[in-house]
Amino acid sequence: MLKDITLGQYFPGDSVFHRADPRAKIILGIVFIVAVFLADSPLSYAFLLLSTVLMIAVSRIPFKTVLRSMRALIFIIIFTSVINIFWTRGEHLIFEWKFIHIYREGLTFAAYMVIRITCLLCGTGVMLSYTTSPIALTDGLEQLLSPLKKIKLPVHEFSMMMTIALRFIPTLIEETDKIMSAQRSRGADLSSGGLIRRAKALIPVLIPLFVSAFRRADDLAVAMECRCYHGGEGRTRMNKLHFGLADLALTLAFAAFTAGIVLLNKVPLNVFN
Amino acid sequence: MSKLELENVSFVYGKGTPFEKAAVKNVSVSFDEQATIGVIGHTGSGKSTLVQMLNGLYKPTSGRVLFNGKDINENKKDLRSLRFKVGLVFQYPEYQLFEETVEKDVGYGPKNMGLPAEEIAARVRRAVEFTGLDLSVLQKSPFELSGGQKRRVAIAGVLAMEPEVLILDEPAAGLDPAGRETILGEIENWRRANGATVIVVSHSMEEIANHCDRILVLNKGELYKYGTPKEIFGESERLSEFGLEAPQVTRLCNLLREKGIALPRDIYTVDDAFGAIEAAFKGVGADA
Ligand SMILES: Nc1ncnc2c1ncn2[C@@H]1O[C@H](COP(=O)(O)OP(=O)(O)OP(=O)(O)O)[C@@H](O)[C@H]1O
Ligand SMILES: [Mg+2]
Repeated sequence: MLKDITLGQYFPGDSVFHRADPRAKIILGIVFIVAVFLADSPLSYAFLLLSTVLMIAVSRIPFKTVLRSMRALIFIIIFTSVINIFWTRGEHLIFEWKFIHIYREGLTFAAYMVIRITCLLCGTGVMLSYTTSPIALTDGLEQLLSPLKKIKLPVHEFSMMMTIALRFIPTLIEETDKIMSAQRSRGADLSSGGLIRRAKALIPVLIPLFVSAFRRADDLAVAMECRCYHGGEGRTRMNKLHFGLADLALTLAFAAFTAGIVLLNKVPLNVFN
Repeated sequence: MSKLELENVSFVYGKGTPFEKAAVKNVSVSFDEQATIGVIGHTGSGKSTLVQMLNGLYKPTSGRVLFNGKDINENKKDLRSLRFKVGLVFQYPEYQLFEETVEKDVGYGPKNMGLPAEEIAARVRRAVEFTGLDLSVLQKSPFELSGGQKRRVAIAGVLAMEPEVLILDEPAAGLDPAGRETILGEIENWRRANGATVIVVSHSMEEIANHCDRILVLNKGELYKYGTPKEIFGESERLSEFGLEAPQVTRLCNLLREKGIALPRDIYTVDDAFGAIEAAFKGVGADA
């Protein structure tokens, strides 16, 4: 059923990550991505993996939920590791059979890739999609991008559009479901026949849906105007974003994390020789 | 054997998720035929969920829905033809209108049944007449009608399929008082003319009391009772425990009885009340 599609992956909770300011999380998310790409030695990769596990633990999002989001990418991960294993040339040959050569470098490189992709996804997921509601995220983006207003970019309007769109996606899904049920009750056959027949069968669903979407848009516009909405100019907020304790804690933790990666890159650990 | 039966039917929303919610719990009932059956219950008691299982839009999480003794969910392919026999009018059905003209919209169901064009045209006219609309609306766009007219067109769209069982989820909600009364009367007429069964969900006890032969009471998803209006409204104290009120005349008669006027407990229409009160006061007059 359509209703089973969840919007984003927000998982309500009360961890440091949940409490932190979305702006801080967006910036720290970027720091995290950069740090992941800085990692360059076995020790720093181990540290990266450990930190990511720690992040998930601190956010109190079930590991299962985080890993489930990896499912969509499992193919890409396997594909890149296979390519890396078979195509990387190096000095230490460990396996050879006809045209297949596997080098130790290929194996380590593949392992690094897997760790990197996994950490990237899980880390940014915990930072942003799991612990930040979509609305908070657009709010944070709006404020981070607000300097662009100086060059006349309609930052506020864009973020308002995003917010409204996000707000209405569940409503529209519910409505689609309802209209589909109503037309099914009148004998609509929405799931058989060829492509053209199916597209045609959707007309009785799409027209009422558009009509009601326009009606809702109209109602919303009137309601906003009645509350004196006139764009972003001089608008104040109910939930002011503050740089608080949680943000300080996260910033320090991420500074330590980045420093850790950079330092561990320097530690020579020759496991291979 | 009754035409439409529920056998230990339960329905759970979002099974296996943290948002799991049991909406209907172990309901068994066999609906009377050629009767108007009212479904009442507090908001959220599972009425809409229940009626959507009757035409196979929802499949029971457990239990069976039997139509003519056969489990409707046994063969998914038969569901479409079942929906022509068990017609369902949704809550606020006016939002499902989509065609260019009222005639085409009302004809959508019959057309899906594969009927010939003349038969469709005849059914459309009959259905539109039953809902008390003027035939001049046939060539209008459904979007230029008033809210009440749209509602009638949407109901006509299901009537035109001439189902054996017609289910309506709050057909009169949001209409003006006169409109409420006439719409239910028209459905009643249609039922008699077609020898069909009507199941109607409503929040108005007056409507239920005036039009229904049987009443099904749901309480938090469970079947409290299926019985005649006399049986149900005769124990109005129990109803108020579920957040339901007996019809106003019933409450009035209860108050009068508390004041010492001898009135029966199971009065639920104005006419009955009138007769009973008149009789009671005649007695008083004779004493004096
Ligand atoms: N799509 C859904 N997903 C999850 N829960 C739902 C859904 N639809 C209904 N419910 C829940 O199931 C219960 C029964 O809902 P239902 O719509 O059947 O009630 P109802 O008796 O028709 O109420 P009303 O009189 O307000 O129309 C409610 O508690 C509701 O919250
Ligand atoms: Mg309902």
